[in-house]
Amino acid sequence: MHQVRNIVIVGGGTAGWLTAAVIAARHQGRIKKGSFSVTLVESPNVPIIGVGEGTWPTIRSTLEKIGVSETDFFRECDAAFKQGGRFARWTTGADNDAYYHPLELPKGFADVNMVPHWLAHEGGVSFCDAVCPQGALCDEGLAPKAITTAEFRGAANYAYHLDAGKFAPFVQRHATAKLGVRHVPADVVAVHQGENGDVVSLDTKQAGTITGDLFVDCTGFASLLLGKTLGVGFKPCNDVLFCDTALAVQVPYPTPDAPMASHTNATAQTAGWIWDIGLPTRRGIGYVYSSRHTDADEAYETLARYVGPPIRTLTVRKIPIRSGHREIFWKNNVVAVGLAAGFLEPLESSAIVLGELSAKLIAEQMPATREVMDIVAARFNEVTTYRWGRIIDFLKLHYCLTKRTDSQFWIDNVDPASIPERLQNLLKLWKTRAPWFLDEFDRLEEVFPAASYQYVLYGMGFKTDVDPDDIAATSGLADRLMRDNAMATQRLKAQMPKNRELVTKIHTHGLQAI
Amino acid sequence: MANIAILNRQTHRTLRVQPAFAAPRNFVAVVVGEFAHLVAHYPILISKDSETGAFYCGVMLGIDQSENLFAGVSGLYRPLNVQRGPFFTSGSDIAIDLDHPAVGGGEPLFSEAGEPTAYLTSIMSLFRDLVPGIEQTKAFLGELMRLNLIAPVDINLGFDDGSERTLEGLYTVNRDALLRISDADALMLFRRGYLELCYMMLASLKQVSVLAERKNAALVERGRAAFG
Repeated sequence: MHQVRNIVIVGGGTAGWLTAAVIAARHQGRIKKGSFSVTLVESPNVPIIGVGEGTWPTIRSTLEKIGVSETDFFRECDAAFKQGGRFARWTTGADNDAYYHPLELPKGFADVNMVPHWLAHEGGVSFCDAVCPQGALCDEGLAPKAITTAEFRGAANYAYHLDAGKFAPFVQRHATAKLGVRHVPADVVAVHQGENGDVVSLDTKQAGTITGDLFVDCTGFASLLLGKTLGVGFKPCNDVLFCDTALAVQVPYPTPDAPMASHTNATAQTAGWIWDIGLPTRRGIGYVYSSRHTDADEAYETLARYVGPPIRTLTVRKIPIRSGHREIFWKNNVVAVGLAAGFLEPLESSAIVLGELSAKLIAEQMPATREVMDIVAARFNEVTTYRWGRIIDFLKLHYCLTKRTDSQFWIDNVDPASIPERLQNLLKLWKTRAPWFLDEFDRLEEVFPAASYQYVLYGMGFKTDVDPDDIAATSGLADRLMRDNAMATQRLKAQMPKNRELVTKIHTHGLQAI
Repeated sequence: MANIAILNRQTHRTLRVQPAFAAPRNFVAVVVGEFAHLVAHYPILISKDSETGAFYCGVMLGIDQSENLFAGVSGLYRPLNVQRGPFFTSGSDIAIDLDHPAVGGGEPLFSEAGEPTAYLTSIMSLFRDLVPGIEQTKAFLGELMRLNLIAPVDINLGFDDGSERTLEGLYTVNRDALLRISDADALMLFRRGYLELCYMMLASLKQVSVLAERKNAALVERGRAAFG
């Protein structure tokens, strides 16, 4: 029997360090006894691509599990609260066209599907405002908790906006100091495989040969082990998601205490959309566009109109986006996490959450021996392929529900040939009933649960038939939940501090662990 | 709004303050030096400062907002922060909030000759306990936090009029965690007097039901008045 005891992670960006920390935290007992090890090999020369400044609420339990303090995280990663996304001009393109995809589930989500009840009412209140308080909190720039709320707990569900360039070093410090992860700064110059194709060892320029039982490929777009060494192909999805380029810029606030949005702003443009993310020190803004539908000069002007005159003095970075993922994610004794596994445009911030979920799955399902590894790998591939597919569907949903016809970009986006069959079928189904439990999204860890589809569909004016007789039995409960929600919204609006104010207080006083 | 002035024997020569004034508040900060006096009558708990989130020790005076069930009860030890009434310290000076409801009537602060009265002298001596007491209490709580000995406590109360109350944002010593600390930590807590403070806090939890009973009697009385 070949025991799996030494894990080697290649690449030290956000994906590499998060994976190292998650695996090491889960296997602390064995690491302390010396019967298990986690080593991270990272080139001292390759620059880290800071992917995504947006996260999902899963990051809270991930950070808590690896044992960092939320206060330290806020202070060292320039983090701020994120309570969801506000999507402007995606449906009609008009000035007043906007909806929220909040992180809170609709009230009573486990007991009743609120959608048909809301559709039957249609009293001028948006779906989001009818079923959860979070849109109202975002409208007023309020935080999801107070200074008296314990670390990682919230009055409303939340994730973070963070400085990705500071996040990886933050996790690195913790993983090496507290979790026993061995850090090897060295360039990999050769990969050695055994007869069965398994990676046996890596030759490095600075640190000699490194052997391992399981190798995690976190080498970014290079995909050194899974792509280059094991020859696993890349499956593009630019026939579904057209955006292939981003122009990114960091915009300072007019004053250090300027209001800071507690949600991601995503504003649709003629050939893509602009993200706008508030960190304590600056706003991260970027235009994600389809180079088939606009050119770089026009894209720059679009971004300049959004940012305003300050852009003339700022550095604008052009980032290629190669949307797609590997055909499989775990082959032989190599598993890929992060960009080495695939990448999608940043709509709905899927990058970090996918890395977290993969790391967690590897940590929890860690094969005890090489002999059972292929069984674990097959399951990992099945789950991860499912996740990528669902995320692609969910991102496409934002585009294909548009009613905009003002540019070829939007016209092309509703072309059925560009919509995955599964999503087409779901959209057909959802004209007759709204998504909920026992629907398509019944996996234990869905990246985007049915609630997310509800917020986007009904935020974008999707029509679902409602039979009044069908919902009569639960209408009393639904009415009560909407009333409860209205009260909860008023209460939270009165109690919650401003996002900026709370983040400043966390820097000054810190949050308590309990 | 507070109207704070540094106390001065000329300006405040004729000022009077009601020493027994009971502020309409249900929770007041206390310091560790008072625990032995408090434990027999008040639930001693830990709460968080609404401005900074920092832990502090306090006693429950009532259950609902602004409810002081000790108002008009005489003969009991009164927490220093209740005794001090409208007075504060400002550096080495004593300051007073002139808009505090206890100001006006009651005891004079200065004699005809302009000397501090026994009442004002007692306030000055009170601050000699309270000011260092705040630091001692912080040190005590810091040690409890370091040893992960603070835990939230859920207090749910039901009353005979059918109403219920859930008190949130309160913490106390985690008795189980206390039993699991190392011998060295236990000895350290004991030597510094912290172990005694922990057990006084735990013992004082019995006062919650005494307070609830007082509240219950008031509610039932009110119900009788309404229906009678």
